[in-house]
Amino acid sequence: MSTEAPHIPTSPGAPPLVTGNQTFASVTENICRITERKTPPVWYLALGAAMSLLLVLFGSIGYLFWEGTGIWGLNNPVGWGWAIINFVWWVGIGHAGTLISAILFLLRQRWRTSINRFAEAMTLFAISCALIFPGIHVGRIWVAYWMFPIPNQMQMWPNFRSPLLWDVFAVSTYFAASLLFWFTGLIPDLATFRDRATSKIKKYIFGFLALGWRGGNRQWRHYELAYLILAGISTPLVLSVHSVVSTDFAISIIPGWHTTIFPPYFVAGAIFSGFAMVVTLTIIARKLFHLEDFITVNHLERMNKIILLTGSMVGYAYGMEFFIAWYSGNIYEQAVFLNRAFGQYAWAYWIMISCNVIVPQLFWFRKLRTSIPVMFIASLLINVGMWFERFVIVVTSLAQDFLPANWDYYRPTIWDISTFVGSFGLFFTLFLLFIRFLPMISITEVKAVLPQADPHQGGSHE
Amino acid sequence: MQYDQHTYRLTDTGNYGTVALIVGVVGLIGSAVGYITDPAQFFHSYLTAFFFWLSLGLGGLFFVMLHHLVGAKWSVVLRRLSENIMMTIPVMAMLFIPLLFGIKELFHWSHPELVATDHLLQSKEPYLNVTFFILRAVVYFVIWMLLAFLLNRYSLKQDQAHDNKLVRTLRVISAPGMILFALSITFAGFDWLMSLDAHWYSTIFGVYVFSGNLLGMLAFLTFSILSLQSKNVLTGVITPEHHHDLGKLLFAFTVFWAYMAFSQYFLIWYGNIPEETVWFLERWESSWKIISLLLVFGHFAVPFFVLFPAGAKRHRGVLMVISIWLLIMHWVDLHWLVMPSLHPHGIHFSWMDPVTMIGLGGVFVWLFRRRTAAKPLVPVNDPGLGDSIRFINH
Repeated sequence: MSTEAPHIPTSPGAPPLVTGNQTFASVTENICRITERKTPPVWYLALGAAMSLLLVLFGSIGYLFWEGTGIWGLNNPVGWGWAIINFVWWVGIGHAGTLISAILFLLRQRWRTSINRFAEAMTLFAISCALIFPGIHVGRIWVAYWMFPIPNQMQMWPNFRSPLLWDVFAVSTYFAASLLFWFTGLIPDLATFRDRATSKIKKYIFGFLALGWRGGNRQWRHYELAYLILAGISTPLVLSVHSVVSTDFAISIIPGWHTTIFPPYFVAGAIFSGFAMVVTLTIIARKLFHLEDFITVNHLERMNKIILLTGSMVGYAYGMEFFIAWYSGNIYEQAVFLNRAFGQYAWAYWIMISCNVIVPQLFWFRKLRTSIPVMFIASLLINVGMWFERFVIVVTSLAQDFLPANWDYYRPTIWDISTFVGSFGLFFTLFLLFIRFLPMISITEVKAVLPQADPHQGGSHE
Repeated sequence: MQYDQHTYRLTDTGNYGTVALIVGVVGLIGSAVGYITDPAQFFHSYLTAFFFWLSLGLGGLFFVMLHHLVGAKWSVVLRRLSENIMMTIPVMAMLFIPLLFGIKELFHWSHPELVATDHLLQSKEPYLNVTFFILRAVVYFVIWMLLAFLLNRYSLKQDQAHDNKLVRTLRVISAPGMILFALSITFAGFDWLMSLDAHWYSTIFGVYVFSGNLLGMLAFLTFSILSLQSKNVLTGVITPEHHHDLGKLLFAFTVFWAYMAFSQYFLIWYGNIPEETVWFLERWESSWKIISLLLVFGHFAVPFFVLFPAGAKRHRGVLMVISIWLLIMHWVDLHWLVMPSLHPHGIHFSWMDPVTMIGLGGVFVWLFRRRTAAKPLVPVNDPGLGDSIRFINH
C-alpha cells in the first residue's frame, strides 16, 4: 500500500446558518435585548387582545360547566364534535416542537438551533390548549379525575382498554417530556440571563431557574449527555402520541375511522400542521423582533420542504383510504368515502384537499418556498386544512351511521366557536409571556453553529 | 482481492462473481425441476425469493434517492455500493417474467369460475384482472428502471469530471422519483403480496412492505461493506463512524418496521371484524403461530436490544451477525406473507424455498459483484466525498 494520500474532492462549504457577521457577544446581545429592553406598547396591546380571548374561553367553559354539553351542537349521531376536533388539532400542532428539537437533533440538522426553542415553547402551549378539551368534554366535570387511575375505596378503575385513557397517558407523558427537554435546553441561557440581570429580583428568579449553572467543562459534559438522552426519549414520543390519538378513531369499527394506516397518517399530519404553525409564528416573530439574521430564509425554506414532504404523505394517506375503501368491496366503506367527497359535507372535504394536498405543492418551486408572503398564506391555509381534516374525519363518519333513520346534519353553536376561538387566547397569552421573559432563540446553540465555534475553521485539520 | 486506494477501484476481484453466477444458474435449474414436479409450490417459493431480492434493489433505489434529496454528506461513501444494489433491478425485471406464467397458481382472483361465484371478487374485477395486473407490473418496472438508469447515468458522469451541477441534476431526478417510488412500491405490494388473499385489505400494507424492504437493503449494504472491509478494501474510507450510522439506521428501521407491523395487527385485532381478522387468524391458529411469534421476537426484539448500545453499532462482528440475521428475518417475513395462502393449515417448508432463494440470489450477487468490480467503489468526484471520509459521528 502506498502512503501517498489519494485525491479527495471537497465541497464548496454550506452557506452560513446565521448571517450578519455575528460574534459570540452579538448573539447574546441580540437575543437578550428583546427581553431586557423596555416593554414595547404593542406587546401590551397584543397581550390585551390575547387575554380578552382567554376570557372568552373561561366564559365559555364556565357556561359549559353550568349548563352541560347540551350547549354544543352535538346531536344524536354526532356525539363527538368540535371538542375532539380541537383536541386533535392542537395536539397535532404540538408535534413540530419535539420533532425539531429531538429528531432533527439526532439527524444532525444544525439549522434547527435557530428555531428549536421557539418551536418547543409552541409545543407546550399547544398541548396546554389541547388538554382543555378532553377535560371539559366529559360532561360531569366534577368527576374528571376519574380519567386517572387513582386508587379508591370503590375499586373503580378507568377502562384500560379504552384509547381515551391511553390519550391521558400519552399526552401527559408527552407534555412532561417536552417540558423537561425544553427546560434542560434553557438552563445555560437562563444562566446568561441571571448574569445579565440588573434587578435583584430578576437575578434571584433566573438564578433559581438556572440551577447553579456555571458553564464549567464538567457541567457541559453532563448537559450534553442529558440533552442527547432526552432527545432519544422524546423521539419515540413524537411518533407515539399521535399514533395513540389516531387509535381514538381507528380501534372502532366505524367506516372511515377503522383503517390500519391511521397511526402513521396522523403522525405525518401532525408534523405537517405543526411545521405550518411554526412557519406562521416565525415569520411574525422575526419581523417584529428583527431576527432576520438568526432565522433566515434558508431556515424557512427547509421548514417548507418538510411541509411539502409531510403534506405529500398526508395526500398519500387520503389516496390509500379512498383506494382501499373501493378495493375492500365493503359497501359501507364505499358509501362513507363517496359521501365525504360528494355528500353534504363535500365543502369541508374539498377545503381539506385543497389546503392540505394542493397548497403544499407550491413548495416544489424554490421561488415560492422562499417567498415570505407565499409561505405565510400557505402556512395559514394548511392549518385551516388540518382543522378541516379532523372535522371531516369526526363528523362525516358519525353524521351518517349505519341506520339511515338516525342521520342528521351537524351544526356548531356559538359556544363551540367561542370555546375554540378562546383557546387561541390561551395559546397567545402564554406565547406572549414566553417571548417577553425568556430567550426565544437558544443563545448557546446558535453560538455553536457560528463559524468561530468550529475548531477547524479556515482549513482542514489534516 | 486487491484494491487501489487512489482510484478506489478493485484491481483483482477474485472469482466470487463467477462462482455466484454458477451457483445461481444451478439454483435456477433446480427451481425449474421444482416447476415440473409441483408448480403451485414452485410459484409461491419463487415469488417469495423474487420479492426478497427485488426488495433489496428497491431499497437501494430509495436509499440513493433519499441521499440526493436530503443532500446528506456522511453517506457519500456508501452511495456507489447502494447504486450497485439498485442496478440489479433491470435483471430482476426479466426474472419477473416466470411469475406471469404462475398467475393462475398464485392468485385465485384470476380464475373466472371462482370469480363468478364470489361477489367480492366481482366487485374487485376492474382492478384484479390479468390484463391490468400485467400492465401495472410493466408500469412499475418501467418506473424503477427509468429512475435507476437515470440516477446511475449521472452518477457515473460525475466520476468523469468535477461538475457541481450534477449534484442538482441528481436531486431533481430524485424528487419526483420519490413520489413515483412511493406509489409504485405500494401498488406492487398490493398486487403481488396482498392480493394473494384477494378478500383481505389493509391501508398500511404498502408502507409495511416498504419498511421491510428498506431494512433488508440496509442489512445487505452493511453486510457487503463489512465483507469488503474484511479483505482490506475501503478500510480508511468507510470508517467506524459510518458503521455507527449504519447501525443507527438498522436500529431505526427495525423500530419503523415494528411500528408498521404493530399498527396493522393491533387495529385489526381490536376492531375484530371477521373480514379483516381472517388474515391474521390464518397466521395464528395453526403452526404459523410459531412464525408469527418469530417475527415479533426475531424481526423486532432481538435486533432492537442487540443494536441498542452504541458500542454494538460500532462493533464489526455484532453488525455483521445482526445484518445477516435481519436478512434472514426479512425472508421469514416475506415467507409469512406469501406461504399461508398456499399452506393455510400450517408451516410448510419446501426444498424449493432455499433453491429459488439461491438461484435468484446467485444472479443478484453476481450482478452486484460485477458492478462493484467495474466501477470505482465510491463516487470519486462527488463534492461531498472529503466530508464523508472525514465524517465524525457526534
